[in-house]
Amino acid sequence: MNRGMNNVWSLVLVSAIIYGALAILMGVVPGMVLSRTPPTVGSQPYTAQEERGRDIYVSEGCEYCHTQNVRPLKQDEVFGRPSTAGDYAYDTPELLGDHRNGPDLTNIGGRQPSKIWQYIHLWEPRSVVHGSIMPRYTWLFAVKPKADPGDEVVPIPSGFGPTKGVVVTTTQSRDLVSYLESLKQVSLTKRTGK
Amino acid sequence: MKSASLAIRDNAEPEDVALFSSFITSATFWLLFTTAVGLLLSFKFPYPDWATSPFLSFGRLRAIHTNGTFYGWASIALSGTAIYVAARTSGIGVSNKWLAWLSLACYNLAAICGTITLDLGINYGDQEYREWVWWVKIIFLLGVLLSGLAIVQTVANRVEREIYISNWYTIGGFVFTPILAIVAIIPAYQVGLGQVAVQGFYMHNAVGMWFTFLALGITYYALPKLLNRPIYSYALGVLGFWTNLVFYPVIGAHHFEFSPLPWWFQTLAIVFSVGMLVPVWAGTANFALTMRARGETVRRSYALPFIVVGVAYYFLGSTQGTVEAFRSLQTIWHFTSFTIGHSHATMYGFITFIAWGGIYALLPRATGKQPSLLATGLHFWFATIGVTAYVIALSIGGTIQGLAWAAGNPFIASVDAAAPFWVARAVAGSLMFLAHIIFAYNVYLMTLAPGPESDHWEPPKRGKAATA
Ligand code: HEC
Ligand code: HEM
Repeated sequence: MNRGMNNVWSLVLVSAIIYGALAILMGVVPGMVLSRTPPTVGSQPYTAQEERGRDIYVSEGCEYCHTQNVRPLKQDEVFGRPSTAGDYAYDTPELLGDHRNGPDLTNIGGRQPSKIWQYIHLWEPRSVVHGSIMPRYTWLFAVKPKADPGDEVVPIPSGFGPTKGVVVTTTQSRDLVSYLESLKQVSLTKRTGK
Repeated sequence: MKSASLAIRDNAEPEDVALFSSFITSATFWLLFTTAVGLLLSFKFPYPDWATSPFLSFGRLRAIHTNGTFYGWASIALSGTAIYVAARTSGIGVSNKWLAWLSLACYNLAAICGTITLDLGINYGDQEYREWVWWVKIIFLLGVLLSGLAIVQTVANRVEREIYISNWYTIGGFVFTPILAIVAIIPAYQVGLGQVAVQGFYMHNAVGMWFTFLALGITYYALPKLLNRPIYSYALGVLGFWTNLVFYPVIGAHHFEFSPLPWWFQTLAIVFSVGMLVPVWAGTANFALTMRARGETVRRSYALPFIVVGVAYYFLGSTQGTVEAFRSLQTIWHFTSFTIGHSHATMYGFITFIAWGGIYALLPRATGKQPSLLATGLHFWFATIGVTAYVIALSIGGTIQGLAWAAGNPFIASVDAAAPFWVARAVAGSLMFLAHIIFAYNVYLMTLAPGPESDHWEPPKRGKAATA
């Protein structure tokens, strides 16, 4: 058996061919085929602002604690209907995730429509959910001595805000929350046909 | 302090020794740094409001921990050892040493750039183990190609007739990984769900076709060497090689069970996850039978206890992976901390312990400098108790988490229920980190510390040189 493999270059070549073939079969071809999945009827591409918010979600690594993948299981019913292939057509990089230290966010825009709640929660999760282990994202906000006209002031619960001044939203927090708001599942039965 | 078997010194070329030492010191630095990060992460579970600057936030540091342990620590340690093993089994020095030096530079550069970019929030997506941006991945890929070339050339110039089984595995790892990296880097066919399919493929192949192959290669060399007895069965080793090669690439989709990936694709992954029992059990049996009735030798050795634990976790962690792949159990365990336990059983219990075993087995023979017996014992016990407590805590905690979801409790109930187990993990992690500091001290003793004796290397006679 090993006699034929005593030339190191044939070992290299044979294993490269076998693995290369498997990589095409199990990686490249599924990738190519599934990349063509058409979007779920009624779903919309992200707006520029939502796209920017999505980039923040990716760079802050929210996916390490949050899935966007509702399974057809009873325990996932609270998060929405089971996800389907077309739900991910606009999602590159994909954010399905492998870990649920926090809840699934596939349909968070539908489940938690309050922008104000999202801002307060991002500033300090423990101000709204005691016992949360989610990090706070205070750097997505600005602290000012006094709100200027046009500023969106975040009503931080007492004890969780800065000792002086007010917390206002920034482009970053507005982008991220607009992305979270956009996370709404489209119904599979109702067609948004014209 | 010095036992007879440890005083043996390889007749290795001084530059090969310097090369091996440099790889291991680099790797040790990355182990210390990235597990300090891991430790900080584990304390962020009980203390989320601790170290809250963006550069120390959970989402950024987690990718630094995983990519750093993979590509800084494990890859550099295993590549350096594999190069040294290739030279020893070939009966010659490393053929093109500059290739290996350049490779080490690439590995380190990639790990530095990767760490910095991730900390700035620049990544390819939160896709595990390929978060580095494309140009960092290419620097790393270059490192793999250069190390691989150094090994293949050395083996090609060997004076021994047969390619030793350990080189089958290492060369395999160095051939598969560039192919895998290219599949993962090319963006053209990775849109939406298509990227999910590639991610499943990539994630499992990175551990299965790279770390597993290198670690098995090192075990196939170190075990017979330390026991002074041939490997139990060459045929089992070859069987393990081919079955690993054919089964492993198919199991990736088991990370996305119940997702919208085609159902048959997931089923195929589950079937082959069961098939993985063949190479795992063949390998374990081969190692166990090689060690049979040598308990006394194991106890006296610095390196063998690490290899015994490594082989035990190879068996346990991989078998656990097969069990986890069944749909009935995935409904409970998937997405919970149970899977974090699995990752550490395999990447720590198996891969990291084998790397340590290989280092303690070969580095003293290369440099002629011994580690401290006491320090080695402490390293071994802290790391073994630490990782075992880590895995047990998260296996229980993860199961409770999954059951809380199945019971339909509010989400935060699962967080509260898992909290004590996350604290236990942080305690276990502290013990592991302590072990790494002790290991670093031993690496210092084996490399940079002033040596007890002068170099006694003599160039081998031309022609058929003796294997070291
Ligand atoms: C360390 C893990 C972790 C990280 C990282 C994390 N979260 Fe969370 N998240 C949680 C936990 C735990 C909860 C549940 C408790 C709570 O509501 O705070 C949660 C809850 C949420 C909720 C409310 C979900 C619901 O169903 O009510 C939103 C929205 C959210 N997170 C968004 C984010 C965003 C956006 C990021 C990244 C900027 C992020 N999270 C990062 C752990 C995390
Ligand atoms: C002191 C030792 C270590 C500690 C305290 C530690 C801690 C952690 C923590 C807290 C996480 C994040 C868990 C989560 O997201 O819920 C993690 C993830 C991970 N660590 Fe470690 N770690 C250590 C050593 C290592 C080593 C040496 C390796 C590999 C060689 C490693 C590989 C991983 C991997 C692969 C993951 C991701 C797991 C997954 O996503 O399934 N760790 N670790």
